[in-house]
Amino acid sequence: MQPCSREMQAMNSLLNPTLQDQQIQTPPLDHPTSSHDDFLEQMLSTLPSCSWSDLKSPWDPPKSDETDNNVGFHYDEILASKLRHHQINGGDGGGSSPAAAAMKIMMQQQMMLTMGVSTGATGSHHQNDVVDCSSFKSLNQQGGEGSNSMQALFNGFSAGSLHETNQSHHFHHPQTPNFGATARTVMNQSQASGSTTPAPAQPKQRVRARRGQATDPHSIAERLRRERIAERMKALQELVPNANKTDKASMLDEIIDYVKFLQLQVKVLSMSRLGGAAAVAPLVAEGGGGRVQTTANGGGSSGGNQTSGNNDSVAVTEHQVAKLMEEDMGSAMQYLQGKGLCLMPISLATAISTSTCHSRNPMMKGALLQSNGEGPSSPSMSVLTVQSATPTMGNGGL
Amino acid sequence: MNPSSLKSRFTTRFLRALTKINAHKPISSSSPGPGEIFQRYRRIKVAADKSMAYSVRSRRTWSRATLWRLRTRSPRSRLATHARRSWVKTRSTRAASHGKEKKEDGGTVEAEELRELVPGGEAMDLCNLLDETAHYIKCLTTQLDILDRQECTSREL
Repeated sequence: MQPCSREMQAMNSLLNPTLQDQQIQTPPLDHPTSSHDDFLEQMLSTLPSCSWSDLKSPWDPPKSDETDNNVGFHYDEILASKLRHHQINGGDGGGSSPAAAAMKIMMQQQMMLTMGVSTGATGSHHQNDVVDCSSFKSLNQQGGEGSNSMQALFNGFSAGSLHETNQSHHFHHPQTPNFGATARTVMNQSQASGSTTPAPAQPKQRVRARRGQATDPHSIAERLRRERIAERMKALQELVPNANKTDKASMLDEIIDYVKFLQLQVKVLSMSRLGGAAAVAPLVAEGGGGRVQTTANGGGSSGGNQTSGNNDSVAVTEHQVAKLMEEDMGSAMQYLQGKGLCLMPISLATAISTSTCHSRNPMMKGALLQSNGEGPSSPSMSVLTVQSATPTMGNGGL
Repeated sequence: MNPSSLKSRFTTRFLRALTKINAHKPISSSSPGPGEIFQRYRRIKVAADKSMAYSVRSRRTWSRATLWRLRTRSPRSRLATHARRSWVKTRSTRAASHGKEKKEDGGTVEAEELRELVPGGEAMDLCNLLDETAHYIKCLTTQLDILDRQECTSREL
């Protein structure tokens, strides 16, 4: 009955953190080894018995340390190591020798190591634990103070649990109110031997939810939706040129402009498929408010030799066009068409020139000229010289 | 070239349509009247759109919308447009309510504009809309590529 009462006391100490200091300190000191062993036995009742034999006879070198990968065994090792660690830190008994001090430092480091790891425990950590534990076990067999050792125990357990379950939780150093929860969780885990997540009904253990994740189903759905949208935006970014914008709104603007531009190009090209003089008037009528008026490179011959950047001719052309526009739009368009020119707003023209410079059609050169609101034309119009594809462009394998 | 890619499918259909148009209305040497040219232009444009939409079949919303539009451009337009409008309205209200719940989209204005541009985009939520847009852009670029190459080859001849 004695062990049971001590165990009960230990459990109480866990659940009532305020009382843990002095109460169970003395009893374990009386029969240190046995009480710890009993308690441990109670705790880890499902573990294989070979590990217990190791604990009970510390002077026997544990044979199956490095080879045994049993979960419980590791738990045992880790908690034993933590026990020793706290015993040493507690400053009783055998902590004074230099060897012990060195061991203590190593132990601390190891503990920091195991505590600091939050994700994906590798086997190496376990190995470290095991190796160090084996060296430590032989050192000090005294039972430590009750509270500290309990603390160590559950530190060990929680660290072990984190190792085992490969959680990506940030390891919060378990504060005292958490011991009860972690104890319960660890017991669950030890029984379930390898279940990946603690039961979600342990609100205390999850001190803070994973970063960027709430548990609310609405917000989860929200987040999923947002992620999907972000994926699609990324895919669109690759398709659309000039995709260096990070802002979603500006990216959408880019996309919209690009789609408009593509549709326009299809129109233009299908116009030129007519393979002759293109009709200007119908296009003008269709183009709506006259914002965009294009003429196709009908025949291409007239435009074939036109070089860009010839300022004189361009200026003359501009004047001509302006004059014509005052009289009749159709005739102005026809004049332009005869020259192989077209009229379009500046924004679209820049888009075309940049895209055609980089795109599969390297032959199209554009010279952008600004005409500043001569005559009735709006200031946003510009005259674009398009050089039609020269015969040297290989016909690319149709 | 991949025999079953979008590009090849579109090319075959488009060329077929073009030859049909050319056979139907031979190119007149003299500059034809604007109405005629316009008609011809419309035919070609329709042919391009149709062939593109057919290449995609009904796997995409925009292709379905385009095909629908093409089919119902004809005389039985009143009934058809009425039917389509009601359909669009139901779907768009559903989408709109969906959008209103999750209001913090931050892109609703542009989304509206995009919806107008992409055929059949009126009744889709943002996620699918972006998907459709991506595919639509891909198809448009394919179309342009083919048209361009045709231009070049025809010019060489």
